Amino acid sequence: MFDRDESIERVVRELKRPVPSSSDLEARVMARVLAERRLTTRRAVWPIASVAAAAGLAAVLVFGAGAHGKPVAFTLVAPRASSVAIVGDFNDWNPHATPLIRTGSGAWEARVRLAPGQYNYAFVVDGATWVPDPAAPKNAVDDFGSPNSVVTVAGASL
Amino acid sequence: MGIHHVETSDGDLVRRVLAGDAHAYAGLVTRHRDRLARYARHVLGNREDAEEAVQDAFVRGYRSLARCDGPDRFGPWLFGILVNRCRTRYGQTARRGAIVVHDDAAIADAQAPDGPEGTVWQDAVAWALSRLEPPHREAFLLKHVEELSYDEMAELTGTGVSALKMRVSRACERLRVMLQEVERV
Repeated sequence: MFDRDESIERVVRELKRPVPSSSDLEARVMARVLAERRLTTRRAVWPIASVAAAAGLAAVLVFGAGAHGKPVAFTLVAPRASSVAIVGDFNDWNPHATPLIRTGSGAWEARVRLAPGQYNYAFVVDGATWVPDPAAPKNAVDDFGSPNSVVTVAGASL
Repeated sequence: MGIHHVETSDGDLVRRVLAGDAHAYAGLVTRHRDRLARYARHVLGNREDAEEAVQDAFVRGYRSLARCDGPDRFGPWLFGILVNRCRTRYGQTARRGAIVVHDDAAIADAQAPDGPEGTVWQDAVAWALSRLEPPHREAFLLKHVEELSYDEMAELTGTGVSALKMRVSRACERLRVMLQEVERV
């Protein structure tokens, strides 16, 4: 390649050398990671101990627009759960309307078509425990005092 | 009978973390820290900002691991997070007016090899790199140090291939001129 003459080769050789970094970098990263895990686990297991370790990581993914809104994927990692459903503004908060499917590695997923707008939602683990999405912003507090998560689906009006 | 060491793949470690074993993330940190630290140092120009960016990238990677586009693609995915963290941090540093173009601590830390590729040359390269426009520096590092293809760079940066080629070419041209001037002195 014409860019890489000898002078550039010398620069690249220099820049490819390892750079010194703190020996405790891993320790500092893991301290933050484990603190995050404690926070997440506390959120998700509360208030029922039977779903201990049910929580972990969750995600909301918005895919391309379809005829009736955009497909949005909701995911929760809950390896010990026997069922997970999602409730929200989009399904009248009905815990039977939108069950999540177990996808492996303890993850559960559901895809819902949503029109542009903002929606509050939560997961229902084992039919009883409402948990907010650990990976999404918290928004409203529902009528029973539990925080919900919020997802925004962009559209022409937003 | 020999001892067979089977290295755990990134994908296996990612799956363990997603299944609740947060400690498995340490294996991913150990495996990827050097590459991330090197890129961040060259982009940001000083050790403190670079290590902050690397830590941020790892923590954000953990937080959104469920969104990783395939457990075996953890490395490239995490690297993309770091590139964005470096952009953000560089913008913050630039607004503070505290761009570091000469990192004494880094130079003191580095073991200078003998001969023409020694400390003076290291210093000159760091100085010349810091004088590049940030998008040009980023493109140069991604192409020639990280050895990404232009298509991979385009996906990572959201910039078109043609613009990236222009940036790399400009960066090479500027580096040649600046380093020739240094060597004349």
